[in-house]
Amino acid sequence: MLSHFLFLQWKSFVRGAGFATGLAQKIILGFGWVYFAFVFTGLAFIGFYYAQDELGEDPLVFLSGNLIYGVVFWVILRYFLQKMPAVHVQPLLALPVSKKSIVRYGLSKTVLSFFNLSNLFFFVPFGIILFREEYNPLGVLGWWIAVGSLILATNFLNIMLNSVDRILIVVAALLAGLFALQYFEIINLAVWTAPLFMAPYKQPLWGLIPFGLLVLLYRWSFAHFRNKLFLDSDAMRPKKETHRVADLNWLDRFGRIAIFLRNDIRLIVRNKRARVSVWMGFAFLLYGLFFMNDIYSSPVWMVFVGIFVSGGFLFGFGQYVPSWDSSYYPLMMTQNIPYKEYLTSKWWLVVVGTLAGMILSSFYVFFGWETYLAILAGGVYNIGINAYLVLLSGAYTRTPIDLTSTKNAFGDKKSFNLKSLLLSIPKILLPMFVFYVGVLVHSKGVGIAFVALVGILGFAFRNLVFGWIEKIYQQEKYQTLLAYKQKNA
Amino acid sequence: MIEISTLSKTYGAQTVLNIEQLHIPAGQTFGLVGNNGAGKTTLFSLMLDLISPTSGTVTNNEVIVQNSEDWKTHTAAFLDESFLIGYLTPEEYFTFIGGLRGIKKEDVSIALEAYTDFFHGEVLGQKKYIRDLSKGNQKKVGIVGTLLSNTPVVILDEPFANLDPTTQIRLKNLLKEQASASGKTFLISSHDLQHITDVCDRIVVLHQGKIVRDEVTSPDTLKELEGFFSEQL
Repeated sequence: MLSHFLFLQWKSFVRGAGFATGLAQKIILGFGWVYFAFVFTGLAFIGFYYAQDELGEDPLVFLSGNLIYGVVFWVILRYFLQKMPAVHVQPLLALPVSKKSIVRYGLSKTVLSFFNLSNLFFFVPFGIILFREEYNPLGVLGWWIAVGSLILATNFLNIMLNSVDRILIVVAALLAGLFALQYFEIINLAVWTAPLFMAPYKQPLWGLIPFGLLVLLYRWSFAHFRNKLFLDSDAMRPKKETHRVADLNWLDRFGRIAIFLRNDIRLIVRNKRARVSVWMGFAFLLYGLFFMNDIYSSPVWMVFVGIFVSGGFLFGFGQYVPSWDSSYYPLMMTQNIPYKEYLTSKWWLVVVGTLAGMILSSFYVFFGWETYLAILAGGVYNIGINAYLVLLSGAYTRTPIDLTSTKNAFGDKKSFNLKSLLLSIPKILLPMFVFYVGVLVHSKGVGIAFVALVGILGFAFRNLVFGWIEKIYQQEKYQTLLAYKQKNA
Repeated sequence: MIEISTLSKTYGAQTVLNIEQLHIPAGQTFGLVGNNGAGKTTLFSLMLDLISPTSGTVTNNEVIVQNSEDWKTHTAAFLDESFLIGYLTPEEYFTFIGGLRGIKKEDVSIALEAYTDFFHGEVLGQKKYIRDLSKGNQKKVGIVGTLLSNTPVVILDEPFANLDPTTQIRLKNLLKEQASASGKTFLISSHDLQHITDVCDRIVVLHQGKIVRDEVTSPDTLKELEGFFSEQL
């Protein structure tokens, strides 16, 4: 049975629309793997001897004491970055394939994720060092089982977080509560949990508890999906949303572009995937808060924050610009719409989103005018340069977005993932470089001015750039139409 | 109105369409018939510049489709569900299409009244998104969207498929009415020989990408076509 599934998986990869780009990405990801393997293995060695020699602590006790932070961090990272497994279930339902094996396959695919395997590069070498340093072998084994089970358990927890909103809310509230307790120093999580993580070393049988947790979470997600494999279950069929009436007549003052803007607003309001991308934009607004300490130590982060804070919408929604229209792209290509008009309306949408970000982020003034000015400069740069780059990369992305992806029990419901993060890197590095040049020339202020200036220059050449992007879109038109036909690739 | 010369489309070694010459005069109701894989949808897609030809061109009202986007102003088409926007209600979709064609919202509402019978009370005022409608009702939305556009050229791929019998007959009357009254050029493909001979002035048969029959519709056409498809192919 497994070989059948693997056969389908292979075919869908090789015959997918983005095979060439998919392959390039796979190669880049491959390098990423090697990199992380080195880093994690190195971390195991350095971490062990650093704790032992520099801190003078027992490395195992030290690690166990801080493991709770790792676990929480991992859960959060997984939620935002790990892709959910996509199994195209519908055609399999009427075939002689048991539903159990469909679910088992979908779930086991997630185990091979980077977020699980990468841990091996840390914990295996770390364990080997423990053996060599003559720790109790049975204890190390117990500890291994406990930690490994816990990592896999977060894998299945993440699946549930992604599929059931209620669980997400509960877990998020729990984490927020823990964070608050820690922050206000009511309890010290590390101190509280250290004995728990050390217990399996002292008595290997304790390792069975995390293992039991893993089994429990696996069974839970198994049951969850098993019950959803009916055509009329919520997971397989898009929910018939109640019609939200909104004429959006106030948009008419924008002239012909209003016709498109109205559609895009409805797209965002009525489709979960698009909605999530906008919420991500809001989350990015707060993202800068994490960096407030670093800004003072290294000013280059100022621009990084500036680009991100105002550009949440740009990166979350704009990144996928023609793809949002993929399910009706032939209509857009035959209707009375010149390409230029289509692109302009998308550009406006991204610009308005960025402007909104710039205004909403005004609370950063509390961290000093310089900080807010950096954000504003980042916003100007986003409008002047990144808005084009987003449109440009859109011409080549060609990933069809199935707006009704909830049809698929294992559907990938997120539009924000590792891939879109990779695509964002050049859009951030360039302004950081410009800023750095400004700092070298004179000061931080000049750096900020440089970034804004580049943005304004980009804005000034709008017509030129648009003509250019239009040509590229026209060249790529047939390819794009073909790619969008393959909805489930 | 539409002029096709030495148009061909090849995928690898396989030629899926090869038309030496085809002229469709303004005001004609042009019917395209052929078995699966005969090249009907390929021809329409080429006319709409959705795929690029291996050789040749399509000229639509003196605009070479492959070179300029200007044909879009006077052509409306409905090929399949990828011409619908699933997250809109039918009313919003019509307003969107109308807006692109410079038709005001109020005028769209007035124009829609003519299609009340055709919709059979199942499309308008349902407060449903197009993606939640049945296949047949989705098709109705697409067809009316193109007719509403009020363009001189209308292209419909298999408009009768998926419709219930009553609606098929209503569609037939609708197309006949519009063709005789407005002087529009209609290009329609179908697998239903009866319907297409009822509606069209001229029938072209495609087989393996080539035009094998091209004739003006007469009372005998249906019989001839039935004979042709049961014996020849």
